[in-house]
Amino acid sequence: MNMALNISSGPHIRDRWSTRFIMGIVFMSLVPAAVVGVVVHGLHAFLIILVSIVAAVGTEFLFDVICKKGRSYLDGSAAVTGLLLALSLSPDTPLYGPVIGSVFAILVVKCCFGGLGKNFINPALAGRCFLLISFSNSMTVFKVDMVSSATPVAEMLAGKAVNVTSMFLGTSNAVIGSSIAALLFGGLILWAFDIIHGEICFSVLGGFTLFVALFGGQGFDPVFLAANICGGGVVMGAFFMATDYVTSPVSKLGQTIYGLIIGVLGGLFRVFGQSADSFSYSILMGNLFTPLIDMYILPKPFAYRKKAIARQNGEVPKPFGQRIPRSVKVIAVITLLAGLALGAVYSITEETIKDQKQKAAWQSYQTVVPEAMNFRAVQAPDIYGQIYGTSFGRVTINEAVIGMDAYGKTVGYAISVTSSEGYDGNITISVGISADGVVNGISFTELHETPGKGMLAADADFSGQFTDRMVTSFKLITGGAQATANSIDNISGATVTSKAVVNAVNAALDFFNNAKGVQ
Amino acid sequence: MKALILIVVSGALINNVVLNQFLGICSFLGVSKQMKASASLGFAVIFVITIASAVASLLYDFVLKPFGIEFMKTIVFILVIAALVQIVEMFLKKKSPAIYKSLGIFLPLITTNCAVLGVALTNVQNGYNFGECVLSGFGTAVGFTIAIVLLASVRVRIREEDLPAPLRGAPIVLISAALMSIAFMGFGGLSF
Amino acid sequence: MNKYVERLYNGLVRENPTLVLMLGMCPTLAVSTRALNGIGMGLSTTAVLILSNLVISLLRKAIPDEIRLPSYIVIVASLVTVTELLIEAYLPSVYEALGIYIPLIVVNCIILGRAEAYANKNTPLLSVMDGIGMGLGFTVALTLAGLVREILGNGTAFGLRVLPESIEPMGIFVQPPGAFLVIALFIIIMNAIGIKTRQRKLVEGCDGCCANCAVTGCPKSEEVTK
Repeated sequence: MNMALNISSGPHIRDRWSTRFIMGIVFMSLVPAAVVGVVVHGLHAFLIILVSIVAAVGTEFLFDVICKKGRSYLDGSAAVTGLLLALSLSPDTPLYGPVIGSVFAILVVKCCFGGLGKNFINPALAGRCFLLISFSNSMTVFKVDMVSSATPVAEMLAGKAVNVTSMFLGTSNAVIGSSIAALLFGGLILWAFDIIHGEICFSVLGGFTLFVALFGGQGFDPVFLAANICGGGVVMGAFFMATDYVTSPVSKLGQTIYGLIIGVLGGLFRVFGQSADSFSYSILMGNLFTPLIDMYILPKPFAYRKKAIARQNGEVPKPFGQRIPRSVKVIAVITLLAGLALGAVYSITEETIKDQKQKAAWQSYQTVVPEAMNFRAVQAPDIYGQIYGTSFGRVTINEAVIGMDAYGKTVGYAISVTSSEGYDGNITISVGISADGVVNGISFTELHETPGKGMLAADADFSGQFTDRMVTSFKLITGGAQATANSIDNISGATVTSKAVVNAVNAALDFFNNAKGVQ
Repeated sequence: MKALILIVVSGALINNVVLNQFLGICSFLGVSKQMKASASLGFAVIFVITIASAVASLLYDFVLKPFGIEFMKTIVFILVIAALVQIVEMFLKKKSPAIYKSLGIFLPLITTNCAVLGVALTNVQNGYNFGECVLSGFGTAVGFTIAIVLLASVRVRIREEDLPAPLRGAPIVLISAALMSIAFMGFGGLSF
Repeated sequence: MNKYVERLYNGLVRENPTLVLMLGMCPTLAVSTRALNGIGMGLSTTAVLILSNLVISLLRKAIPDEIRLPSYIVIVASLVTVTELLIEAYLPSVYEALGIYIPLIVVNCIILGRAEAYANKNTPLLSVMDGIGMGLGFTVALTLAGLVREILGNGTAFGLRVLPESIEPMGIFVQPPGAFLVIALFIIIMNAIGIKTRQRKLVEGCDGCCANCAVTGCPKSEEVTK
């Protein structure tokens, strides 16, 4: 060795954690992405994963036996390499692909150089690129329903738009481990527990995003940037490949520079290159610079001195690797994961909830226009959802439908209207009007008022006042005032509610009278 | 402007002279054992190739072509290169002994470095004008320097004791070069 | 063994320029994409090598020491140009395949190396035999490498289909990485079966002085072979 400071290659043993333990955690953090991949892409994807891992571990086992190198195949690193390689392959890769790739990755990239810690480029990625170059035809086949189809990144390169949500969830036509959600889940956990260095993964993502934003031709458009990040193995690379201890620099500054190199090169290849798989090469290029970076950018000597002095004074120095307080990181990650989980649940339930609401509305229309067999929606997009008129307060017309009998004859109309001036929230009513202009009645689809007071509005005593009334506009009377043709007695102690209801109904009537021409 | 940048980048990275065109392999494999030597050789190469490309271009355009003796290009180029190297060596010895000490011994190597002659011949093949020749030479030499420096830094990491016996020496260097070559293939297909 | 035949054996096996002396890597890696290329390049180089060894040996007493190197270069360059013109005229397909690597024979370490290490110290006939031996050794090595790369990378050998259509060849072997890997493999095999190669020169770099072929006549270089 001709270096004054012998920087040993990783992985470094930290605390009580052995290589096996760390590899185990890394492996587990990849499992969500693997599961999603198998669920979405089917049995063949699972076989690819299985074959790849077996080939990797098997190769290392054979090498250990032939070269008498002990039992390194048990330390889990070969299994991780096999899994990473499999996740970066197309689900339609013929099975000899992962076998050859894993053998190359373990035998040539790792074992030839002396085993764990001695390789200078990422084995899984080198294996993947080896396969891409060797089998350029069959490795780039991604089938949708048995037909060869383009991956999202390939489509982006051709200038087409892509479905970012599908890329985020992992349901798009891409490699097995393409579920960004699952990868982020695993990756952020690794980061929160200091197993991977944030300097690397975030500089990679940052450098890449910045380059694509500056040179990609679409500026800082968030959808465009998101699409680029979610495709082509950027997230997988940033969290799981570039962060490999052995092939990344040791010092903080070095890691940041290394991450930026990878990010910028990745952006360069993505924007100006023709291949959808180019990000893998940019990480390999970054690996090539690691020894150089390590030679010239060493951890600051003053830091060592500071630590030494602190230790002398009896202070316990922070353990290796804890740069941001762990608690902060864990909170941040938990919040983020919670947000993601909520988002996922929301997107799943969104449709169901909308359906429920629609069903309830239809039911109330039926109540107020009993003779109708079905309803036809009235188009009035400029009126719906906006504050209606000026004399009704904050009332919006949601929807208006025409009730028809079995023969298509108009038998009545129903209008859904919401007043946000209820005492405790919104009040949504369906107002039914018969074909000859008589108010059939009202039905509540949303009412959250004070029980015993405002809630009484739904009772027949109050709401029944609207039944069969031939008026163009109602008037709320309080106390014992004289009833008139269009009066509605308010609910004592719930004037606000009553007023809101009456305003809402009046707005509906006003809309009906004015829009009668509009069918 | 774009085309010119492309020539430099292409020479340096896209069609890397060593990892793609296999020119200059002997010194690439040999000198990369030592980091400092590699950097020194790299700079010497940049210097010589750039000037040699320029001179070769002028000679070809103004002497060989007009007289219809293009077939003399190989001889002429190699003599130019040899002469150039001698001149540079003498110049350095006299004017800057410090630089001569670090770079000078590599200069004779460059004479037989396939990369220099290779670039001159490729320039002719591509029909570059003077400016393009210079840029192409420069780019190529930069690519050579990048490659050799990277390989040297990787070789620093390799410890012979870790390697299985048959791999010690040249094989591991060749395998390292193979892996570097794979990484550089990422530059293929770039267009601006 | 007859000393002339010994030259043949030496060049082919004991001091095979490519696999043992590790000279002429550039054309070896570049041209060995197909077995036929190997033969074409190898034989062209052999022709130049024989002639250059002959000429230099004949003139060995006539060329002053100081201008040894430039003279050799001029002689070799001229011979290469002649060869190039002949190939271009009568073997156009070979010319197409070998491209700029023909003129690069000039800087092929083997030719200048043998000129320096042997031809200028020995009689013409021995030098010619040495040229034949070295040239053939180079040709054999180049063809072997080309054969392996062609079969693995293209499924053919000498242009004829060898692998069944159903097996997809591994394209990487006809590309640069494959070149490095195949040559590395040859040397690994030779190491494993005990043939010593002159790697130390190539790889150790002689402290960075003459890490190239024996052109500059580094005194250390001769020791390693013995």
